[in-house]
Amino acid sequence: MIQPFNRRDFLTKASLASLAAMGAGAPILNFGNKAEQMVASADTVILLWMAGGMAHTETFDPKQFTPYEKDMDANRVLSTFKSVPTALDGIHFSEGLEKIGKVLDKGTLIRSYVAADLGFILHSRHQYNWHTCYEPPQTVAAPHIGAWIAKLKGPNNPVIPSFIDIGQRFTVGESEELKAFHTAGFLGNEFGPFFIPDPSQGLDSVRPPIGMDLKRFEGRNQLYKNLINKSAWGEVGSDYQKESLQRSMEQAYMLLNSPEAKAFNLKDEPKESYDIYNTGRFGLGCLLARRLTEQGARFISVTTEYEPFVGWDTHENGHTRLEKMKAMIDGPVAQLIKDLDKTGHLDRTLVILASEFSRDMMMEGRPGATVKEQVAQPDKISEMKFYGMHRHFTDGCSMLMFGGGIKRGNVYGKTADERPCKTIENPVRIAEIHQTIYHTLGIKPDTNVEIEKRPFYTTPDGKGKAVMELF
Amino acid sequence: MEQLNSFWTKIGELHPLVVHFPISLPFVLGLLEILSFKKGKDEFQLTARIILYVAVGSSLISIALGLQLYWEEGDEGVLIQKHLWSGISSGVWIFFALIAHFYNEIKSYRIFLALSIISVSLAGYFGGEYVRMPEESITTDLPDLKDSKDFNNFNDSLELLRNQSHKILQSYCFDCHGPKKSKGRLRLDNLEFALKGGKNGPAIVLGNASKSEMIRRIKLPKDDDDAMPTKGKRPTAAEIKLLEDWINAETATNSKIQNKVSQKNVQSKAILDEWMESPVQPVVNSSLSEEQIVELNIKVRSILAHSCYSCHNATKTKGGLRLDKKEFIFKGGEDGPVLIAGYPEKSDLIRRIKLPDGHDDAMPTKGKRVPQEDIELLEYWIKTGATWPSGPEKSLYRVAELAPRNPILPIVKGINHPIDRFVFTYLKSSNNTFKQSISDAQFIRRVYLDVIGLLPSPEEVNRFLANINPHKREQLVDQLLNQNTAYAQHWLSFWNDLLRNDYAGPGYIDGGRSQIGHWLYASLKNNKSFDVLVRELINPQKESEGFIKGIIWRGTVNSSQSAPMQAAQNVAQVFMGLNLKCASCHDSFISDWKLEESYAFANVFSTKALEIHKCDLPTGKMASYGVLYPALGKINASVSKEERLKQLSEIFVQKKNGRLYRTFVNRIWAQLMGRGIVEPVDAMDNAPWSQDLLDWLAYDFANNGTDIKRLIRFILSSKTYQMKAIGVKSQEFVTASNFVFKGPLRRRLSAEQFADGFSQVFHPLYTDSMIAKKSLPKEIFKEIPFARASLVKNDAFLTALGRPTRENVTTNRNVQGNLLQALELTNGVKFNQALLDGASHWVQRYPLSEQLVQTLYQQSLGRKPTVKELAVAIKYLGKKPQVASVQDLAWAMFLLPEFQFIP
Repeated sequence: MIQPFNRRDFLTKASLASLAAMGAGAPILNFGNKAEQMVASADTVILLWMAGGMAHTETFDPKQFTPYEKDMDANRVLSTFKSVPTALDGIHFSEGLEKIGKVLDKGTLIRSYVAADLGFILHSRHQYNWHTCYEPPQTVAAPHIGAWIAKLKGPNNPVIPSFIDIGQRFTVGESEELKAFHTAGFLGNEFGPFFIPDPSQGLDSVRPPIGMDLKRFEGRNQLYKNLINKSAWGEVGSDYQKESLQRSMEQAYMLLNSPEAKAFNLKDEPKESYDIYNTGRFGLGCLLARRLTEQGARFISVTTEYEPFVGWDTHENGHTRLEKMKAMIDGPVAQLIKDLDKTGHLDRTLVILASEFSRDMMMEGRPGATVKEQVAQPDKISEMKFYGMHRHFTDGCSMLMFGGGIKRGNVYGKTADERPCKTIENPVRIAEIHQTIYHTLGIKPDTNVEIEKRPFYTTPDGKGKAVMELF
Repeated sequence: MEQLNSFWTKIGELHPLVVHFPISLPFVLGLLEILSFKKGKDEFQLTARIILYVAVGSSLISIALGLQLYWEEGDEGVLIQKHLWSGISSGVWIFFALIAHFYNEIKSYRIFLALSIISVSLAGYFGGEYVRMPEESITTDLPDLKDSKDFNNFNDSLELLRNQSHKILQSYCFDCHGPKKSKGRLRLDNLEFALKGGKNGPAIVLGNASKSEMIRRIKLPKDDDDAMPTKGKRPTAAEIKLLEDWINAETATNSKIQNKVSQKNVQSKAILDEWMESPVQPVVNSSLSEEQIVELNIKVRSILAHSCYSCHNATKTKGGLRLDKKEFIFKGGEDGPVLIAGYPEKSDLIRRIKLPDGHDDAMPTKGKRVPQEDIELLEYWIKTGATWPSGPEKSLYRVAELAPRNPILPIVKGINHPIDRFVFTYLKSSNNTFKQSISDAQFIRRVYLDVIGLLPSPEEVNRFLANINPHKREQLVDQLLNQNTAYAQHWLSFWNDLLRNDYAGPGYIDGGRSQIGHWLYASLKNNKSFDVLVRELINPQKESEGFIKGIIWRGTVNSSQSAPMQAAQNVAQVFMGLNLKCASCHDSFISDWKLEESYAFANVFSTKALEIHKCDLPTGKMASYGVLYPALGKINASVSKEERLKQLSEIFVQKKNGRLYRTFVNRIWAQLMGRGIVEPVDAMDNAPWSQDLLDWLAYDFANNGTDIKRLIRFILSSKTYQMKAIGVKSQEFVTASNFVFKGPLRRRLSAEQFADGFSQVFHPLYTDSMIAKKSLPKEIFKEIPFARASLVKNDAFLTALGRPTRENVTTNRNVQGNLLQALELTNGVKFNQALLDGASHWVQRYPLSEQLVQTLYQQSLGRKPTVKELAVAIKYLGKKPQVASVQDLAWAMFLLPEFQFIP
């Protein structure tokens, strides 16, 4: 049982061990030790990000509908929309989400996401928490889940960047806070996001520079190679640093010159299909995500884009704004699922629709931990602009998951039917969501990177557990 | 109702007090009878009558109180029954005695009195026995199986379980279910009582822990109505497990079925036997020397520290087992000893770490499994006798000297420069010699980039090459260092990374950190001495306070990231090359630093006294005040924060704080040479490749006014700096602990150097309007040659080239080539626009291809093109250069490794 262990062995082992123990600043990857062999059920992850806090009672978890009346009692209002049936018996969505409702039989509706309790609300901080699984500030720069996946799984197709982020611009309020988690952090820029702020311009990111045709692009690359070969340095020969530089240039050249790059060109999409998706940048982002998935993307995030008081961040006019938001997502999301299902890609693609937290008309924070109010909401609704879910609510949010091994036609978790409409069954938290995503990719829960000599896990302390009921 | 109940229980508890009174009375009456019998007189009868009244009355009270206690506590033990009935009968007899006395029936009176005396004696005896009843072990009432040899083995291991279970029950249950009290009519101090149970039936079902009410109740959550114990501490999971094991094992004994004894118990018995039999002084493998024993022991402790400490230490002691100290390791935990010297195969520690993950006994339960080579090392250690040197333990971790040291300069013939004398001696010891020096052309490029971050113009290069002064290199260094503004604009990036100062970033929304750009730029421009810089950062004025102010995110923040704790972490990292991040949350597992020490240091930066939080939970203990290294001095706790910071700044910059100066000279060395003498530069406890060189540089720096430019000049003027650069063979090469210095490493241009080089030569990448003017002094616009990259906000282009987001201290930029960076350089909008704009200017200025190529080569690479290069370039441009082809040529030129690497 025990190998004979002699003195010389001991000394070799000892020096190896000390070498490892001395391990310096560079991150050292540890793929986890858990014995069970994990089999990936997904190759690609698409995150559809509802930025700004999407009210569950106005979308995927409608409650009693109370139509608008002047001077109505705000406390009475749980939903400002009617409920509509979905493909699943007894399960209703809010009016305006009929198309997604029709594809619900292809996925799972989670009604019990409980966001972290971070005190006084800051959207970008909750988004940081959702995307990294950690709460800022951190002693090291925490990586975005897309960067983790890029690091751990690498590209599906070598010419398509592993982590693509569609739709977020950084010229808006809180942009510095947004940048803080749109990063690979200590994993290194290599695994960071490839930004496509405008999906209709996606091709520009992956084709030769504007004004340069393919012939010139190829010629320029040849010139570069010739100059390297002819230079004194080139003749000196191989060098690790130079090679890594050249290799990455070569990779970029390949991508910009590859047939797959055509996937970035939305103009190639048949008009009929394009029109279904074209509800704006988010809709086209879904289309781009679909096209890239077909070509072998690894992780794609498509966002409705966060900008303070815009989009889902409804501090007023919640009802009217949500009509537009639902119109923006309903068609494209449903079509994305249908298209992926039709081509069979859905089996190996996990699609998640989520938001940093929910909203409520009355409660800021959560029951038992209400926080400083940030929204003026009169008790008597005197104007239409006060009719809607305007306060930030963290104790009950809806989420959708499709494909990648996720159960079809399933509903998980429940919220109360009376205010506060909080989670009352099967609460799910962010570490569980992350490990559920990692699980589909075959990434073990105790996967970590050693940074500054201590392990930094994909979920805090490696404690995230996949929600197995979802599979 | 409950209050009323407890009132009656209290009253009942008076019973033992009241009872002593009537006990003595029958005896007094007896004495009186003997006296009157002797004297033949009736003179005591009146006294006797009075005493009888009192005796009857007090007996009634005692009985009533006794019954009350009996009903309240529901005790049904045999002793108490005997006590009860004898007590009542003594009351009855004394009552009859009174009646007889009343009717002057002296004979009957005497009989009743005698009976009463006997009864009260018995009651007293039983009562006394009951109260004094020894806390007998449960095991004493068990069937004696000792004579049955077949069962000796597990009987012994069962004995072990019984003893431990008894101890657990004793500490959690006996207070309410023991000889003194038996709430719910339940006693647990004896197996018989436990089996009989209380009001709610048996507490224990032999052989079936899961059906035992006692187990069910102690497992209930604390606030459940049925949960036990109702007061005091609750048993730990391990203790419950042990009780279950014991209950399950009891059947086996009673029904004499050997197989039912769990395998584990047999095993722990076997381990125990081995342990008992193994010699007190384990055989030490003679092939190990004293030194190796120490080394082996340190390895073993490192493995235990890495894999086990987090659950088996002083604060968290799972299974009652500690593995952080010698005595505890050999003592073992609740499951017995964990190792048997000389027998790894019989040691529970080895068994458990070898079990497959998921097995109930497998260790560690969280984190990484113990690597195979570590298991082998532990086995080897146990096999060789689990040796553990006595005397004070050496720290597991290398701890660097704090005090300064002035090593003797080696004398080397023909070499004057102190750095070179140390390096020559070092190289010689590793069988190396000085590498060839770089050429003048390479030197001027390297030194320009290092001092002012810009490229030399072709004119400056030519002038330098033509200069025949033998001291021209030193003169060039001086001349560059004297360019105060250019120097400040270059070194600003190094300091911004180090002090996590940026023109934009998270944390400005909700207060917290603030800009220190004005102060920093002015400090660099004026070459403020290092000790003053440190003073002003630790004990700040308004304009330098940003560094110790934390990054604040709205909402509640983990206590290990409070603003004072961030200050402590950053000051320790930046100035002392010390990582306090682990020890901000709990005692560190990777160093000797303790939570209390971190908090004491953080407390110095805090307006409000800090309470120590362990893993974000309050400990109820207030932090003291300290400066990490007591040898440096003490902080006066009673003064204001401002006063404390002043004290701290003075304590830090003392010359005796050798670590401060070593940390800084090492950073500058790494910046100029591509790798520190110690690496990583933030882990100053790691071994330097030359202790003498590090110590000498630090000592020299501290004793010469801590003049930063002087330090830089000193390094740049050495032969060591001027050696040919060594290519980096892999990422690990730089950080390897067995690194051997052979010369400076080849460095890639930083994002700022690349951008500035391009701006300088071809076309400005940034305009003046992009400069972060709010964060920098106004006069900067007069002091810049063009909008330098160190002065603008971070963007996609600079990020791709490695400029960090400065939320955390960054001392090691990632300069590896990667796809995202290559994409930015290949088709990034910013770079391509600049190439296009520059090309338009260049075609106008240089209408002839050859002229253009010559100029571009000289300006960007500092040399003329070779014939071959010229041919390739002209072929691409054609005779008359066009905008597009110039754009392409410039792109290729700037991406050449020759441009991107410092010679």
